[in-house]
Amino acid sequence: MKNRIKVFRAMHDLTQDALAHELGVTRQTILAIEKGKYDPSLDLAFKIARYFKVSIEDVFTFEEIQ
Amino acid sequence: MKQNTFYILAGIIGLIEVGAFWLSVRYMIPYLITVVFIVGVVLLYLAWRRISDRQVDERVVLINQKAGMATFMVFWVIFFAISLGSAVIGLGAPPLPHFPRPPADISGGINKSLKPFGDGPGILNESIKPPDDGLIRLGHFGYLQLALLFLMFFLYVGFRIYYARKYGEWENDEEQD
Repeated sequence: MKNRIKVFRAMHDLTQDALAHELGVTRQTILAIEKGKYDPSLDLAFKIARYFKVSIEDVFTFEEIQ
Repeated sequence: MKQNTFYILAGIIGLIEVGAFWLSVRYMIPYLITVVFIVGVVLLYLAWRRISDRQVDERVVLINQKAGMATFMVFWVIFFAISLGSAVIGLGAPPLPHFPRPPADISGGINKSLKPFGDGPGILNESIKPPDDGLIRLGHFGYLQLALLFLMFFLYVGFRIYYARKYGEWENDEEQD
């Protein structure tokens, strides 16, 4: 799963820590999602999309694992 | 209750558990550590529920779940194999009822083996009861159980580290302090 959280963070001038605080997770979780180490739950994915006021497809792109 | 207060409480309970274990071994009261351990876990659970600033992070929950499940799966196979071995020992024993050997035979044998010189009196006083054969065997089984406990602990720590690395626990980037 690819994502554009880093881009959206930059657009909103947000640090990982601030975004993590807003979403109720740890900074390490935001970092892991950005680096593609961890795929968030649907719940968290929707929270992220809603926070940036975009659709979930704008933030996350599904990619087949080969 | 603050999260850090909980950690301090967990440390204190851990020390009490170690003390209880020592007392159990020292005075041969196996039920003491069993009861103290269960009470300690219940207390920790109640304290954990009272944490006011607890942050539930789904990634950490996933890491804990995966590590717990992997530990359970590996431990289950090993425990099952060892239990099968124990069952073989149990089933290979003479059928019930067991008739213990006369105590005189045991004490005589032990006394004879401990006599240092000639035909003089043995080191052991006649009033000292020789250890029960079955209890010694059960004690050896206790070492095996202790090894299983350590195995369970190290399996969990190993899997916890593995999954933490897999899900980016120690990743860092330009925002790292």
